[in-house]
Amino acid sequence: MKKIEVFKQGILEELPLQIGVFPFGIIYGIMAVESGLTPIQAFLMSSIIFGGASQIAFVQLISSATPLGVIVTTVSAINSRHFLYSISMMEYLKNLSLKWRIVLSYLLTDEAYAVSIRRFINYPSTSFLHFHLLGTGITLFLSWQISTLIGVLLGGDLPQFLDLQFIIPLTFIAIIVPMIKSISTFFVVIASAFSSLILKSLDINFWIVISGMIGVVIGLTSSKLDKKR
Amino acid sequence: MIWYGIIVCGLITFLIRFIPMSGIISRELSPSTKNSFKYIPLAVLTPIIVNDLSIVENNSLFFIENYKLHAGLISIIVALITNNILATISIGMASYLFMSNLINI
Repeated sequence: MKKIEVFKQGILEELPLQIGVFPFGIIYGIMAVESGLTPIQAFLMSSIIFGGASQIAFVQLISSATPLGVIVTTVSAINSRHFLYSISMMEYLKNLSLKWRIVLSYLLTDEAYAVSIRRFINYPSTSFLHFHLLGTGITLFLSWQISTLIGVLLGGDLPQFLDLQFIIPLTFIAIIVPMIKSISTFFVVIASAFSSLILKSLDINFWIVISGMIGVVIGLTSSKLDKKR
Repeated sequence: MIWYGIIVCGLITFLIRFIPMSGIISRELSPSTKNSFKYIPLAVLTPIIVNDLSIVENNSLFFIENYKLHAGLISIIVALITNNILATISIGMASYLFMSNLINI
């Protein structure tokens, strides 16, 4: 298979996922401007961070005057799953030059990974596999930048009564509910929800990070119990 | 301050994606470390949702006439049934606007 064919396949397989990505990018753009970021900051964040849920969390925390340390910790925690994606990709991409690995790491997001890893596992002997990830990654990158730009341009013109800030928790609900697939993931949500209620009521700093840590510990403990069943 | 935050977050996000692919880490991660990565997004996003649903206001819990909480619960049900991002957001938003703008008149 030629490089260009593998690249095109990546693009074609990534395109259907844009039905979900594109509205999400528009929502992010609107939220970012509504939260007080300049249009340039809102737009460039999509290429500097390039991570949907973490960008929305950043915007939400900035609007509630959260300390920078908490914002950086939260964004890093949300994106930490990409570490695992990178580990699983390494097996297929370890012989590439450093330049290639830098480019592909930058493009390694949820949707690009989900499509390309399936290809890598099912057809590991395909030549130029990395062009597939390049195709999925660039498709997602362009879609995210364009949709962000549309959101940024729409942002300032929307009426106040719409209270669009409320889209942020709704977006997160839409992201996390499908992730609750086991008893342990359910316990993670319950534990972090209750601990955040208690810690925030007590005015404890870093309540997001602490309740997140409690959630992970509960998740790990209950996953061990799951295995015993 | 905002620019600084964006750049630091961008740099950390890139490093998270690049470090394993760079080959710096040659050792296999323990199963519990891998498991904890699976839980982190859930554990961090849940407190943000709880905060945005305004359940805690002025250091006390607020449930009755909390339209954000009610609309949030509706959107959780929609997410469970449809598993669709757009449906969850639009039905949640529509119920919130209905409750806050029409019921309050």
